[in-house]
Amino acid sequence: MLKVAGGSLAALGLTAAGCGTGSGSGDGTVTIRYSWWGSEDRAKRINQSIALFEKKFPKIKIKTDFQPYADFWKKFNTQASGGNAPDVFQNAIGFLRKYDAKNVLLDLREQAAAGNLRLDGFRAGLEKFGEVDGKLLGVPVGSNSMALVVDQAVFTKAGVTPKPGWTWDEYHAALAKIQETQGRAGDAGPYGIMYLYDLYLRQQGKAFFTTSGLGFTEADLTDWWSKAVTRVKSGVYADPKKTIPVKPKSAVTAELAGCEFTWDNFAVRYTSEGKSQYGLAPIPTTDGRKTGQYLGSLMLSASKRTKHPKEAAQFIDFMVHDPEVGKIMGYDRGVPATTAQNDAYVPSDEVGKQIAAYEKQLVESRVLEPITPHPAGADVCEAAFMRLAEEMSLGERPVADAVKQYFTEAKTALSS
Amino acid sequence: MGAAVTSAPNPAPRPERVTRQDVETAPAGSASGGRPPGAPGRTARPHRARRENLAGYLFMSPWIAGFLLLTAGPMVASLYFAFTDYNLFDAPKWIGLDNFTEMFGDARWRTSVEITGWYVVIGTPLKLAAALGVALLLNQSRRGQGFYRAAFYAPSLIGASVSIAIVWRAIFSDGAAVDRAQQVFGMEAGGWIGDPDRIIYALVALTVWQFGAPMVIFLAGLKQVPRELYEAAQVDGASPWRRFWHITLPMISPVLFFNVLLETIHSFQIFGSAYIIGSQGNACGPADGTLVYTCYLYIQGFENSRMGLASAMAWMLLLAVGLVTAVLFWSQRRWVHYEEGAR
Repeated sequence: MLKVAGGSLAALGLTAAGCGTGSGSGDGTVTIRYSWWGSEDRAKRINQSIALFEKKFPKIKIKTDFQPYADFWKKFNTQASGGNAPDVFQNAIGFLRKYDAKNVLLDLREQAAAGNLRLDGFRAGLEKFGEVDGKLLGVPVGSNSMALVVDQAVFTKAGVTPKPGWTWDEYHAALAKIQETQGRAGDAGPYGIMYLYDLYLRQQGKAFFTTSGLGFTEADLTDWWSKAVTRVKSGVYADPKKTIPVKPKSAVTAELAGCEFTWDNFAVRYTSEGKSQYGLAPIPTTDGRKTGQYLGSLMLSASKRTKHPKEAAQFIDFMVHDPEVGKIMGYDRGVPATTAQNDAYVPSDEVGKQIAAYEKQLVESRVLEPITPHPAGADVCEAAFMRLAEEMSLGERPVADAVKQYFTEAKTALSS
Repeated sequence: MGAAVTSAPNPAPRPERVTRQDVETAPAGSASGGRPPGAPGRTARPHRARRENLAGYLFMSPWIAGFLLLTAGPMVASLYFAFTDYNLFDAPKWIGLDNFTEMFGDARWRTSVEITGWYVVIGTPLKLAAALGVALLLNQSRRGQGFYRAAFYAPSLIGASVSIAIVWRAIFSDGAAVDRAQQVFGMEAGGWIGDPDRIIYALVALTVWQFGAPMVIFLAGLKQVPRELYEAAQVDGASPWRRFWHITLPMISPVLFFNVLLETIHSFQIFGSAYIIGSQGNACGPADGTLVYTCYLYIQGFENSRMGLASAMAWMLLLAVGLVTAVLFWSQRRWVHYEEGAR
């Protein structure tokens, strides 16, 4: 029964004992550790990129390590708390403030000033994405954005064509049509996706997070979830009792729903998972114009306690700018952040082309907004949002109760 | 119950009882014969014993070191953390009983207690009943019983593994084996995995399926019951049910007690299967349907980085399990029968 708590302490002791981060050997060869979250496929591409890097920088060796998303952060958290974070690691906007507050992230400005890390040549102002309070805590490797992934066969047969600027009413009318004619739910259920609710709030001049807390009221959330509950009951949104067991498979590829909100670069995954053709549709709007979208991105950060900040910066620079790496990675980490890598990779597959067109249209139509890094505790808020939305949709909790519980949990998470 | 045992005629006195009496009376007899035979041995003994003790501790030292460093040390530390606010990064901050008051006021914590309670109360008796039932069947000699014993024991070896949990998830999903079996009986309820009220029974089914380990212990216990008790009861015309109730059950009650104790404590600690079967997207879901105590402890500790609160929860669990164990030990006086002299 105490194994869990004891295990954590044992892990602490072990990481403290193995504190020698990276090593310099006699001939000046330096080893740095690099870890990321992702799939086997991403690992293959990254290992190829690293082989290129080691050829170009023979004095630097890269030791790698990867896990799925949730496990990555548990492991990282434990390592970082023992002062043994990897020298370079994958990061995202939701974790910048959290780990900056815990003194884990290296301010990369110094290395940029020393010429080890180039900050020019980024698309769409992405080089600013990793800045928090004047510090450069992460360098974007790619950009992505929320999108509506649709089963194209279902949409065509139902006679539904989403257009940029379509409204939520039009979107729900489309879902109803799919439900009537195609014998499956319209949408997998958007009510638990924090990043989508964020867009919905942005369309009304609010946001999910302020720099220190929640940017919406209990009344806002009650409205959003009350409507959702009705739509789950009527079958416009998929029955959670059916979609939960098929996870991690998507409800769309499991043919339980016609569409689903998610990140645009995930469309690659849908194609390998399902039998149909999958495409990207625009985010519905409130006023016919504003989607509230921004570019999100995966980043690379370095550990504040790294013994080799220069080599870490050189490695990040290579992974972000090198055209060959761009070709190898493709759209795996989103659309490449630098023009050099973006120009180097021309997608040949249908999904890749769609993703490129989708993001190009976003940038050109100027709907994009700036994004502020989430406050510490945002990751816990996201997990609680997803969980309580699920409880609410299953009818396990009345909406009012779920909303109240959410605000209680979010307050605890954001204050600790 | 005990009366049936003691009043039963005992045609073949058990040999070990006789030998024990012999041993006990022998020294008394020889001591009266003048020369005290134990005298020289008694002076040499403490010295040798001390050396043997030393050797014993030396052989135990790897275990003792492991216990102190990996079990006792962390336990003491976690007792301290239980009264602190500790997020792994910043130094622990003493907050007295705040973790405990927060815990008791937390609806999710109460949910986890409730789910764990149900799991223990439903799962343990079912598992033990299955174990005892199959042990009774396997206690009779028939062809291939070695094979059956191995076959029934096998799930206990693999049941705790991750792969079995994944298989379990697949079996209880929509349209899978269990769902289809239900439909044969006209139940259109769907799989159990997506239903927060029924997924706990998938966990119960998994633990009951692993009845092999207590079964083996029951079998050993059943082998110890003297044949002649049954023979005498049969002569008296006792039905199989009465024989079970008045002979078998009292005779194996120490084994039953051992199994109840072991399985109850074990049930409280359920984690792996709940976490794997329940976690897709949300940890220990759906809708906290598999949020057993250790799962919530894990979420607070490792997902929410609240090690102080998690430590407090761990100690609360220790107290609860300790209390249940104490009650079981207290209750055994009423229903556990030890043989005379074996007590």
